[in-house]
Amino acid sequence: MIRALRQFAIVLGIALLPALVSGAIQLKWNAEVPPKKDEVTIAMVHNNWSDHVLWVDARTRAKYDHAHIPDAVLLNEDEWNSLVAKFLDAWDPDVPVVVYCDGGSCDASHAIAERMRSELKIEKVYVLKGGWGAWSGK
Amino acid sequence: MVGKIAVLLLRVAVSAVFLYAGVMKIWDFRHGQSATPDFTLAIQHFEILPNPDLAVLLAVYLPWLEVTAALTLFVKRLALGAATAVTVMSVVFLGAIGSAWARGLDIRCGCFGKDEVSLSYPSLMLRDALLLAAAVVVLVWEARRKRALTPSPEGESPS
Repeated sequence: MIRALRQFAIVLGIALLPALVSGAIQLKWNAEVPPKKDEVTIAMVHNNWSDHVLWVDARTRAKYDHAHIPDAVLLNEDEWNSLVAKFLDAWDPDVPVVVYCDGGSCDASHAIAERMRSELKIEKVYVLKGGWGAWSGK
Repeated sequence: MVGKIAVLLLRVAVSAVFLYAGVMKIWDFRHGQSATPDFTLAIQHFEILPNPDLAVLLAVYLPWLEVTAALTLFVKRLALGAATAVTVMSVVFLGAIGSAWARGLDIRCGCFGKDEVSLSYPSLMLRDALLLAAAVVVLVWEARRKRALTPSPEGESPS
């Protein structure tokens, strides 16, 4: 038993070394990665448009119901057909659309933004870098 | 002999699962970037940790623990500790998924980073229960092996 615990502690310790290095690298790296061409940050939304944008939540309905950015409209892949009309009601051609999903490298926001461009011919569509995680942690 | 081969196969299987799971949580090969942000969110969605910042620390550390345990399962001097680690992790995973299921959370497991098939809770529980069973077999085997290798206390050895 003692031997097992001692070895267990050693395994925990060995794992700590690469985790520390990886964590340090990622902290440095994340700070330097600029937004992609169609991405915006919360700071950009604030500085460029004074927060006057149409937020679109591309996550699931359950997550939207649980919490979302104030005044955000729900529009996700699963319910695109039933929700797109409501989105178009809220859409103003003069106001940029910013789509978000969970965060990290989630694909939903990019997929919805692409459908808006291709199917609805909306040009001013952006994706929130960091998604809901960036908003909820701001 | 058959038992030894069976345990070796189980050890390889458990190691492969943990190695794959760990690597996929470290690096998102599809997007060529770190998978830590996604795994952090996956952990946060379980709504178990009291502080969201703990999810970040866990998202950085846990994948490396999985990789380390998977590799050290084949290192004689550390195999018992590695078997303990995979068993403990399997119990924790099973508990986390069971807890999310009980609370009716609609979440992604995050078990294999982004490269995972969406599974129902019963399937996830079954998969983790099988993994736990395999880990326990390897742990018991290692414990017995260590006990067999330990010299008997003085006076108890046959003269």
